[in-house]
Amino acid sequence: MPTLLLEIGCEELPAGACREAGDQLPELVQRELGAQPSRVFVSPRRLAFLIDELPDLSEPEWLRGPPLSAPPQAREGFARRHGVSPDELVERDGFLGTLVAAKPLEERLAAIVRGLGFSKTMVWKPGGLRFPRPVRWLCAKLDSETLLVSLDEVPSGGVTFGHRFTHHELEVPDPGAYAGLLRNADVEPDAAERRRAIVEGLDAIGGWSDPMGKLEEVVYMVESVTVLEEQFDERFLQLPRRVVETAMQSHQRYFPLGANRFAFVANGGEPEVVKKGNRQVLENRLDDADFTFRRDREQGIEALAGALGSITFFQGAGSFADKTERLVDLVRRLGGGEASVEAAKLAKADQASELVREYPDLEGHIGAEYARLAGYPEAVAAAIEEHYLPDGQDAPLPATEAGKVLSAADRIDTLAASFGLGHKPTGSRDPYGLRRAAIGLCRLADEGGLTVPRELLPPEVRDFVEERLEGLLEVPVEFARAARASAMPDVGGVAWLARALAAMPDERIGSIHTVYTRSARIVGDADGEVNPSLLAEEAELALARALQATDLGVVADRNEAAFDAAAELAPVVERFFEEVLVMAEDNAIRTNRLALLAQVRDEVGRLGDFSQIPR
Amino acid sequence: MIRALEGFWAERDCVLMQPYHTEVGAGTFNPATFLRCLGPEPWRTGYVEPSIRPLDGRYGENPFRFQQFWQYQVVLKPAPDDVLDVYFESLAHLGIDLVRHDVRLVEDDWEAPTLGGWGLGWEVWVDGMEVTQWTYFQQMGGLELDLFPAEITYGLERLALVIQEKRTAFELEWAPGVTWGDIFRENEREWSAYNFEAAPVEILTRRFGEHDAECRELVERRLPLPAYDQVLKASHAFNLLDARGAISVTERAAYIGRVRNLARAVAKLYLEETHADAAA
Repeated sequence: MPTLLLEIGCEELPAGACREAGDQLPELVQRELGAQPSRVFVSPRRLAFLIDELPDLSEPEWLRGPPLSAPPQAREGFARRHGVSPDELVERDGFLGTLVAAKPLEERLAAIVRGLGFSKTMVWKPGGLRFPRPVRWLCAKLDSETLLVSLDEVPSGGVTFGHRFTHHELEVPDPGAYAGLLRNADVEPDAAERRRAIVEGLDAIGGWSDPMGKLEEVVYMVESVTVLEEQFDERFLQLPRRVVETAMQSHQRYFPLGANRFAFVANGGEPEVVKKGNRQVLENRLDDADFTFRRDREQGIEALAGALGSITFFQGAGSFADKTERLVDLVRRLGGGEASVEAAKLAKADQASELVREYPDLEGHIGAEYARLAGYPEAVAAAIEEHYLPDGQDAPLPATEAGKVLSAADRIDTLAASFGLGHKPTGSRDPYGLRRAAIGLCRLADEGGLTVPRELLPPEVRDFVEERLEGLLEVPVEFARAARASAMPDVGGVAWLARALAAMPDERIGSIHTVYTRSARIVGDADGEVNPSLLAEEAELALARALQATDLGVVADRNEAAFDAAAELAPVVERFFEEVLVMAEDNAIRTNRLALLAQVRDEVGRLGDFSQIPR
Repeated sequence: MIRALEGFWAERDCVLMQPYHTEVGAGTFNPATFLRCLGPEPWRTGYVEPSIRPLDGRYGENPFRFQQFWQYQVVLKPAPDDVLDVYFESLAHLGIDLVRHDVRLVEDDWEAPTLGGWGLGWEVWVDGMEVTQWTYFQQMGGLELDLFPAEITYGLERLALVIQEKRTAFELEWAPGVTWGDIFRENEREWSAYNFEAAPVEILTRRFGEHDAECRELVERRLPLPAYDQVLKASHAFNLLDARGAISVTERAAYIGRVRNLARAVAKLYLEETHADAAA
């Protein structure tokens, strides 16, 4: 079977587009050509694939029509639509169908190019193809035969192009020669291979880091890998480390090597020339950062905090000064100490700094730095620095107590302000990052052990946060739902209770479950005061006494004694149901007995809504 | 350098234009780009543009940030298929050895909220230094384009840093024995003081309103070219107010929206006036 190559030659594609294409090609190729590509090559200037054994695609295709049992009109209609006579239809597997000529290979290749979907595309010819950047050539080879693919006037043939500046047009004799030909022309078409070469180069230098995760992007920013090492002037080491690293990584995608050394990946050029230029660029950026840093410092963190009134948090939610006031209040209500209150006052000050305007990734870090420079205690600076944590799914929580409190306050405020304005996440759209905020809050409460009173959360926010909690807990969702309906006063307590319920021995949860569901079922939503003078029978008196002696409220302190107490009610309630007729004829007695059972429901309900748990 | 670029693009059938006579933030605002990109007529031009960005002033103390710098702007409408090759040729023509340096195209898309325009493109790096902004325009004045132009904006100071191998813009040789700093440093100091401290907020706020009103009046009278000048003047008044810190972030969005609406109205009218036949 023949081998096949298709190369889509592009102007430099963004890294994101490269990845999107690489993800889609195998499936698209399978769909159009009935075979998996043996290789997929993705680089800034080309998207390509090879097939080692291309199946025969010249067989006519059988299109399924009506079943054999269908009435003649159906056959005639199908035949007419396909321009054949009814007796020409071909039967297969109990259906009639028609044979249509196979789509030519060239058309299938064009369909693959058109079939790629990208999140951001452009047009370069009126009415023409949409692609992330212009497509400038197509190279298609079937063994040694060149296929001419017709696609919006894009030149098609048997040639490819090597490195943009060191090589020119290259004649591709056959698919097997493609990769080797490019490698001789300073192009490594295989992204995995480039990644390997970059990591190998960085490892050879040693001590490299990638704090902002730029490696995957860099893989798609070069076709030819040259890893170079350079230094910058030591005077910039006076700048906070974080500022230096951000200047290296955020725009230039350099890899810090410690002290004043850095590594970067070039796409060619003479090393000494390229190194000198890159050093100059980094020093320019550091000079600018230094200038900005000094100006911010001259202002001081208090002056920056004072300027927050003119910066909008987001439309409708006031300025950062308003947010600061709310944070201070929330921190107090979360029981935060002096350091967290102080930190709350300064938490957003760096939003007014020039350095954060330049490098948004520095928020928090730079505020902390300015607080330290102004002589604030380390606890305050650390809280400012940490309050954006956790900033990802598995990211660490703040290490300090003040940091946790401030982080929780920030998340509660963002959620409350957004929900208050009707900005709720829908489907995959969550522009304000509310899911992440809610998950962070749950983790602070649960893993972080921070007491987050549920009453601090507006009802909608509370539901949204606790729905996230259901997803985070490693217990069946019904236990989490039951626990949410409990009298637990704080979010972490709900998590504790859900786990405790899920871990409870079957027999014990069964007895509490019965007490709750039997009472709840009979009482419904009814409420009422118990009139002790109307209690007559021994069993109902016993239940009333037992209730009086029971206080399941201790569950709020995560005290498992509450479960023992609830279980102890079980025999008393059972006896009550055996010996007492709830639906007494006397209206007053009936109402009184229902009120007694409502008390049982409410008392046991403090441990959760057991009707959520299927038995 | 400017002469080399003029010569290079003139030979490639570009109409050589001159800087526009009112302050613009970038060569894109010059009507030779903004308005000429509209409609189905081909257009090729090249011109120098002083880019005026009040907010970027640093009193001449920072060697890389200025409230005024120089661009060389090229617009090729429609973009020819070999447009990148021609551009790289222009770098070689300026004396940049494409094999000795690491020259790369790095994703950088363009969006101008005040112009209602966007496009996809790159910043061009020479050894990590951004020397050109490169954009395939897709929309301008809120209108889909008939032909898709390539906009090539050379940052002249940045290019000169590479070519002259100088450390700061102040040291750049503007002419033999005359540096960039000699000519523009005092300029930076005074204009930064004006932009950040002295620009009269009340007068500028009033002026913004007047330019806005005059623009709409001129649109009524179907005079798109004079109306467009009012867009530019309003835009500059806004930039000054912004630098003076007189605009809160919320107001900012409203100001930008007003300028964009003007730009859209002018773009639409310009198309109607220049293509009366097509519209009828």
